[in-house]
Amino acid sequence: MSAALSAQHVVKRYGGVVALSDANLDIHSGEILALIGANGSGKSTISKVINGVVDLDGGQLLLDGKLVRITSPQVAKHLGISTVFQELSLIPQMSIADNIWLTREPLKSFKVINRKLLNQKTEELLSLFDGTLRTKFKPDLPVSALSPDEKQIIEILKAISIDPWLIILDEATASLDNRQVERLFELVRQWKAKGKAVIFISHRMEEIFRIADRFSVLRNGKTVGEGDIKDITEKELIQLMIERENVVQFTKVSAESESQSRTKSVYLEVENLQTETLHGVSFRVHEGELVGVGGLRGQGQRDLLLSIFGDIPFHGNIKIKGQSIHFHHPKDAIKHGIALVPGERAREGLLYIRTVLENLLLPSWNKYGFPLKIRKAKEDAARVGDRLNLVMASLMDPVSSLSGGNAQKVVIGKWLLRNPQCYLLDDPTKGVDVNTKAEFYALLTNLSKEGKTILFYSSDDDELVGLCDRVLVLHDGIIRAELKGRTLTKENLIAASLGVSNGGEA
Amino acid sequence: MRKTSWETLTTKYPALFSTTLLIVALLINLYLQPNMFARETLNSNMRVFLPLVLLAVGQAFVILGGGIDISVGGIVSIVNTILAVYVGLNGSIEKMWIYMIVSLFVGALCGAINGFFIAILRLQPIITTYATSFLYVGLALFILPNPGGGIPQSIAEFYRTTTPLGIPLAFYIIAILLVIWRYIRSTQFGSYLYAVGGKAEAAYETAVPVTWIHFSTYVISGLMSAMAGIAITMLSGSGNAEIGSPMTLSAITAVVIGGTALSGGVGGVTGPIMGALTLGIIQNIISFSHINTWWETFVKATIIVIALAAPGLINLFGRRKS
Repeated sequence: MSAALSAQHVVKRYGGVVALSDANLDIHSGEILALIGANGSGKSTISKVINGVVDLDGGQLLLDGKLVRITSPQVAKHLGISTVFQELSLIPQMSIADNIWLTREPLKSFKVINRKLLNQKTEELLSLFDGTLRTKFKPDLPVSALSPDEKQIIEILKAISIDPWLIILDEATASLDNRQVERLFELVRQWKAKGKAVIFISHRMEEIFRIADRFSVLRNGKTVGEGDIKDITEKELIQLMIERENVVQFTKVSAESESQSRTKSVYLEVENLQTETLHGVSFRVHEGELVGVGGLRGQGQRDLLLSIFGDIPFHGNIKIKGQSIHFHHPKDAIKHGIALVPGERAREGLLYIRTVLENLLLPSWNKYGFPLKIRKAKEDAARVGDRLNLVMASLMDPVSSLSGGNAQKVVIGKWLLRNPQCYLLDDPTKGVDVNTKAEFYALLTNLSKEGKTILFYSSDDDELVGLCDRVLVLHDGIIRAELKGRTLTKENLIAASLGVSNGGEA
Repeated sequence: MRKTSWETLTTKYPALFSTTLLIVALLINLYLQPNMFARETLNSNMRVFLPLVLLAVGQAFVILGGGIDISVGGIVSIVNTILAVYVGLNGSIEKMWIYMIVSLFVGALCGAINGFFIAILRLQPIITTYATSFLYVGLALFILPNPGGGIPQSIAEFYRTTTPLGIPLAFYIIAILLVIWRYIRSTQFGSYLYAVGGKAEAAYETAVPVTWIHFSTYVISGLMSAMAGIAITMLSGSGNAEIGSPMTLSAITAVVIGGTALSGGVGGVTGPIMGALTLGIIQNIISFSHINTWWETFVKATIIVIALAAPGLINLFGRRKS
């Protein structure tokens, strides 16, 4: 069972966005390749290309030197390629056994599923993780009753149940505990000894150095470095992941005014905040401060913003201007002058099929009396539109007719009319064009100059470094590092995101 | 933790809640109608319940697969009018057999039309079957514009009075349905049905033939509707193009009371059968408790709403306690 897969000059576009521009990858039997890159560098895309979930727009895939086209997950399966997806492919209502063997159930006569054999084969697979699972782990337990780590393990078992030669582990260790990771690594070494190949995608540097033989670094959709893991250090890897050229120029308002901000009063104080993904987060934000929230995706940033906004239940203390508050509903937060720009603007931020006017005035209709003073409302909306440089045919057009950047302006514009004191931003520049981004930065700096408090999560590290006074880096639900002044560099930010210990705690 | 255990219980035994409900309804009915288990009374009840049971079974397949079929009443009407017009009050047994087979074909065809739009053209199930329901009722009205016609008295009598070994005919049919369901449940098709209804995308990624499964559930529903149409024609002995329409929502209610989630992938067929029986018994209870007819609909609806809300309430209290 010796094979080799090689991806050469792979290009993949999603609409106008180039996810991969020149990705290269080589993997052979008996080898463990670590695929490394920052947020949005194209790691998941290349694994989707190899697994047939998306088709490539350019370049080629070679299996044992022969050109192959992997057009669907089924084709990949036939070629012996199996993926552990980051977003699990399990059916919650079905049992563990049914999930693992779906479409490959052992059958008796009359096409009846052989339950006994099915459960037996499942037990065999489950025994691979013996000792790291609850004792009452039975094949007929529904997947919905499992914890996230257990679901992840079932997903891994499902992937290896087809006996592939190449296994792609996309962030498979993210929700596992230490013992489970340990067991997975033992298995990975066994697979390697049997001649299987593994592509290991992880943000945990320590794991990469423990398990991988070779590495391949992606940056902005391009492969920028490959080699043996023993020839490189953690620091050099991080250097490879960081981009040199900077596209957008940032103007920082208050880099010089650190002492000044100290004299201002504390606006927001969070103490030991706990939710499902946050495990005790404490910090303070002064009035007029622009504080960034960084880290890899899904480390609790969303929960942090939503719990301050009263959108999800949480434990812990939140104080605004020294006054203890515990919002149970976003309307309480809005009354206290807090605004949220949510992460998924089409779903959470906008009434997509309704007009620009309605969207802009949605949080403030009550200011316009009964019956509504429509003319005044239109004037106000037009003023906000002008201030944001909103490109639209008319206020009465549906938001769905706007470009991504302009739609995002509407999300922030609907709050401007209420003049909130505090803005919570969840990755507001995601999928926004460069010009609009620049306008956004200007708007944020202006708001901050006006004395508004801003908490700004971004998946774009350049933004955080260029724009913020301070950046809190979240990792596994805690603040891994607080970067400011001289320690606020991209190197430190990425290092802290990856959980590397020297993340400059100044 | 309590919530999980209730969830686990209901996933493992989807008929748990509907059984409880059925027993409670039975006890109340028994109190109001002490001779309920006498052969005659039981049979006269069961023959009335059977059409809805058949309809609920078909609906259960569609809902398990993640869809919904609100054209079933229309199919019942078509079958009813076909039999009433083409067999006729003076028709022969042979004619009845032939048109029963025609009816099954028509039912399957109607289901295939629904399946084509929903599974292959990917249209919304609720809108599509709402639209086709008018198509089917319209066709029934075309076949039989005014109530009338019918099937021979002898055939209707056979349906109404046959009690082999002293047990009503309906029980035999329900038993056959349960055996067939147990078989289907244990095949790969059964597994696919739950997978598609549970999370169609994940099923697709795992190479389950999603389109084909969706399509087949509508054909099964069409077939079961045709059987319900045959049963209700034998029960009433006459034809009426409006006979099926009110049954659609009852069938969906029966499925939901039977613990089969409208979101798909949870439940089975046993629960919906009991749900249909429960609905029938509720109707019985109302007529025996001498409620003013003005209040009848209101009382019936209240009982159904409570029955529907109960699992949610149990979950809510479970959450509170943990």
